[in-house]
Amino acid sequence: MYRLEHEGGVSLDFYPCMKHKVIRKTVREFAEIEIGPIAHDIDQEARFPWEVIEKMRPMHFFGLQVPKEYGGADLDSISYAIVIEELSRVCAAIGLCVTVHNSVGLYPILKFGTEEQKRRFVPLLASGEIIGAFCITEANAGSDAGGVETHAVKDGNHYIVNGTKIFVTNGAICGAPLIFAVTNAKNSKKAASVFIVEKTTPGYSVGEIEDLCGMRANPVSSLFLEDCRVPEENLLMNLGDGLKIVLITLDTGRIGIAAQALGIAQAAFEASVRYSKERQQFRQPIGSFQTIQNMLADMATEIDAVRLLLYRACAYKDAGVTFSTEAAMAKLSCSTVASRVTSQAVQIHGGYGYSKEYDVERYFRDAKVTEIYEGTSEVQRMVIARAVLTKPS
Amino acid sequence: MKFVVCIKQVPAVSELPWDPQTGTLMRDLAEGIMNPACKHALEAAIQLKETLGGHITAITMGPPAAEEILHEAIAMGADKGVLLTDLRMAGGDTLVTSHTLGMAIAKVCPDVDLILCGCHTSDSETAQVGPQLAVELDVPSVAYVEHLEVLGTTLTMRRLADNFLETLEMDLPGLVTMTTKHYQPRYVSLGGLNDAFLAAEILILNADDLGLDPERIGIKGSATRIQNVYAPKAQKENVVLKGAVKHIVEELFARFGDRIAGAIGKDLDGRQ
Repeated sequence: MYRLEHEGGVSLDFYPCMKHKVIRKTVREFAEIEIGPIAHDIDQEARFPWEVIEKMRPMHFFGLQVPKEYGGADLDSISYAIVIEELSRVCAAIGLCVTVHNSVGLYPILKFGTEEQKRRFVPLLASGEIIGAFCITEANAGSDAGGVETHAVKDGNHYIVNGTKIFVTNGAICGAPLIFAVTNAKNSKKAASVFIVEKTTPGYSVGEIEDLCGMRANPVSSLFLEDCRVPEENLLMNLGDGLKIVLITLDTGRIGIAAQALGIAQAAFEASVRYSKERQQFRQPIGSFQTIQNMLADMATEIDAVRLLLYRACAYKDAGVTFSTEAAMAKLSCSTVASRVTSQAVQIHGGYGYSKEYDVERYFRDAKVTEIYEGTSEVQRMVIARAVLTKPS
Repeated sequence: MKFVVCIKQVPAVSELPWDPQTGTLMRDLAEGIMNPACKHALEAAIQLKETLGGHITAITMGPPAAEEILHEAIAMGADKGVLLTDLRMAGGDTLVTSHTLGMAIAKVCPDVDLILCGCHTSDSETAQVGPQLAVELDVPSVAYVEHLEVLGTTLTMRRLADNFLETLEMDLPGLVTMTTKHYQPRYVSLGGLNDAFLAAEILILNADDLGLDPERIGIKGSATRIQNVYAPKAQKENVVLKGAVKHIVEELFARFGDRIAGAIGKDLDGRQ
């Protein structure tokens, strides 16, 4: 029923394996019991819940795809997406912390770091003892990483880093963020490099926490780097490899944000189904009206469709083939659907949906940013279009 | 010490709709989970193993999908999983279930010291399998145990019975059925879960492997038949709680916590 088999073998398998089912159940149970009861309040208070993080550490949430030798869970990418999806279904801000930490804060060190860098930083990150972050965005640089002004200048066996990073997810809580900085402005292709900057470095400071529309429990902030002396052994890969690191890292990051958007959409959909059965108007549940049924049918269809796109990107990644376009398609579609579905969820809930008393209001605010960060929808389209146009026609 | 923990996969009942026509639970729609009391029994065994050392075998009988909870049990701390699955075993009542489990334990873990079961399952609530299994294996048993301690070959147990807190002793080997009062099950780590799927020791046995008499298993061997299943008539009562919110919530859980926990199949103790 689920497997399409032919003489050449299994071509497509839509049935989740037992492991993926159990991982989903495990994370769902944890999220519903430990995060669910506070999800509304930490959003309202814009508070990062360290007490939950404490419980998440021994469960490997901070080393999801890290090999066991560095203290991680060594999960495959579909499991990874499921974990982020399930966390975000209950609390997108915690899902955000976990996915940014794993996919862009930790993964580049694992992928590009020297053995020495891996030994120093990966176990600390994988255990959740320190939280990771990746900083590209600046006042004059977002989609265009070429506009970055933070720069690093060699001084003996150190680099002196100066600049200001903004909208850093996990900004106020990260222990060793990766900083994207210009090291050779003259060479446009090899202008930038990535440094692991420890927060204990003199000159490192955290700005005010941003007052954002959604994801409010995540302390997104600015980071100030003032004459930070970063040892040269904290340079990731070679001088000038910054852009290369960013491009490869973002492919993985997009899987995480797509999973997050999917989780938010799923939550909004489930809330809508429940409400449609409970809410009575004209002496019948609103779910008996075709107009509501149409909305629910569209939500269910769209969510399922983009989930398949996401898992395909994950499967490609695990197979070791290029997944850049697939990840961009997954990110674009999941975030678009999250925005649309959460908006419809508010519509189904009517006035209550616009009230902070109901979770759909939070989902609606949280969903929007998934179309913005880790590459805007427009940037995803650029990536996809480039692939489409370079294919021989 | 050698432990055997009997666990059962049950539908997550809180999510289950009833079919109003047939009066039965629409089980196909539910996710299968490890029965809460079984999970507590497993946690108790793991805690004993952590202090005394030993080996835990988790056994379940059910459809092939029940293998899920064995992986979960291994991720929690069990050493080995045994799945008893056979179409001929389907539809069995508690008597044949106890017989099947007894035969399996005699085969895979004949030198067991302590067998732990959940005191009841959330999907059928008979509470019979544990004590019947003790009879099957000819070992002493105590039901509804809250706390365990092992001294040599003696097991000291605490339980609440008829509002009396009892402390009992039993020589091992023996069997206990555990409540959900203590032994809050640990969360499994995702890495542990991953390992439990990649390299777990799971033994799958059918009726022939166990040398079971086909007349004594499944619906054929069952001594009881379910005549009818129906939803109990709701006995409604209006309760108005007054006072500050904190007080109302505390009062609500003090008065109805057990029933809420029962309905959602989760223990509410110890989790805020």
